[in-house]
Formats: sequence, structure tokens, C-alpha cells
Amino acid sequence: MAEGLQKRVQQELEKLKSIQKDFQKSVSGRQQLDSQLKENTLVLEELKRLESDSAVYKLIGQVLVKQDLEESKQNVEKRIDYISKEIKRHEEALKDLEKKQDTHRETMAKLQAQFQQQIVKAAAKA
Amino acid sequence: MSTGTMKEIPVTELNIPQLNQLSQQLEQDVELLQNSMSSLKLAQGKFSECKESLGKLTTDNLQKDILVPLTSSMYVAGQLADVDKVLVDIGTGYYVEMKLKSAVDYYQRKVEFLSKQMENLQPVLQEKALMKESVMEVLQMKVRSQLAAHQHLATSSKS
Repeated sequence: MAEGLQKRVQQELEKLKSIQKDFQKSVSGRQQLDSQLKENTLVLEELKRLESDSAVYKLIGQVLVKQDLEESKQNVEKRIDYISKEIKRHEEALKDLEKKQDTHRETMAKLQAQFQQQIVKAAAKA
Repeated sequence: MSTGTMKEIPVTELNIPQLNQLSQQLEQDVELLQNSMSSLKLAQGKFSECKESLGKLTTDNLQKDILVPLTSSMYVAGQLADVDKVLVDIGTGYYVEMKLKSAVDYYQRKVEFLSKQMENLQPVLQEKALMKESVMEVLQMKVRSQLAAHQHLATSSKS
């Protein structure tokens, strides 16, 4: 009986570990998105400060290509929108994963307590 | 590790392994914040340098001979042609042609922006450092008292 319980504890532990890994991945993805968002916001601010006749170039590969100011502003705005949406998605995934983590931890704690009791009972009998 | 609700537990109530863990966590936090601070200073230095080098682009220096880097180890002779407009990297692959004065303004704004970020970071860094100090103090106190208790037990069991 104790072995079955031990196996369950193992399973729960592995599930918990994989959830934690996903959580970490989501966290670092979220941080990266955050820094991209900040960078793009700064770029948009600069573009907005420019007069309409200023030349804007975009680095595509190793080539600087002339861009239209309005078009660049729109491009950056769209990118900012997209990144914000991605961040929201990540936040929801994070909340979800956190809840899953908590429930798994609770199950783990309960199983471990049961396991301990089993051991104590077995020791008492012997 | 964040939970939905956090309870405040006085540091003195934690036992030694917990205190150890906490002090290690705080150590990592302090290191992270210090690294961020250094990165900010480094970036600010670079922007400051850009601003200063713009100062060299005066009309006095027009047509002067210059060496233009083609790669990190190859330069080509040239002449300073334009001191009116410069190409500034504003991020995410965008470069903007600006008048000299606007570029100087741009770098000045960046330098000030980073100063503000560093100012905001400083109190956070200090608070973490203080927390780490107090946790270590409590830890040392507990270790000392535990040692003393053990010694007391050892001496009392001998006699």
C-alpha cells in the first residue's frame, strides 16, 4: 500500500516540476516581451517628435532602407499593440499555471502526510 | 515564489535553514539589482560619449581628413562632408536623420532618462541590502545561541 502511495507522490512531484518549468518559461517570455514593449514605446516617442520631412531608415539585414515616417509610426504602433496582446496572453497563462502549481502542491502535501502516517503505522506494527 | 496572499512573519520566528534560504534569496536579489545598476551606468556612459563626439562635428572641422571604419579592423580615408545632419539609432532597427542639434538633444534626453531610472533603482537596491543585512544578523544570532545551547548540553551531560 505504501508503495502505491509513494508512486503517487513521485507522479505528483514530476507533474509539479513540469508545471514549474512552464511557469519559468512563461515568466522569462513575459520579461522579454516587456523589454520589447518598452523599446518600441521609446521608438514611437522619437518618431512622434520628428517633423514630417525627417528621413527615417529601417535596418533590414545589413541594409538601411528609407521608410515613410507615417508608415513607420503605424508599424511601430501595430507592433506595440501586438506585444501588449502577447503580454496579456502570457499573464493569463501565468495565473493559470500558478493556480495549477498551488493545487499540485496541496495534493503533494496531503499525499506526503498520508505517506508519513503509513510509515509510522508500519513502524508501530513492526 | 509568489502566493496570492502573503502573511507577514517576523524574521526572528524563522528557523536556521529558512533564514539561510532567505538570506541566499536576498543575496541574489541584491546582485541582480547591482547588475542592473551597472548596466544603466554603462548605457548612460555610451549615450554621453555619443553626445560628446557630436561636439566634434563643427563647421570648423568640415572637409578635414577622417578615418572611416569599414569593419572593426579596417579604416578608409575620407573627409568630413556633412556636419548638419546625422543618422541616429533610435532602437528596434530604426535610424533617423536628425539635425545636429536635435541629435544632441536626443542623447541628452537619453542620459537624463537613464539618470532617473538609476535614481528610482537606488532606494530599492538599498532596501534589499538592508533586509539582507538584518536577516544575516538574525541568522548569526540564532547560530550563536544554538551553538551555546549545544555546548551547554555537552558540558552539563559531562558533569
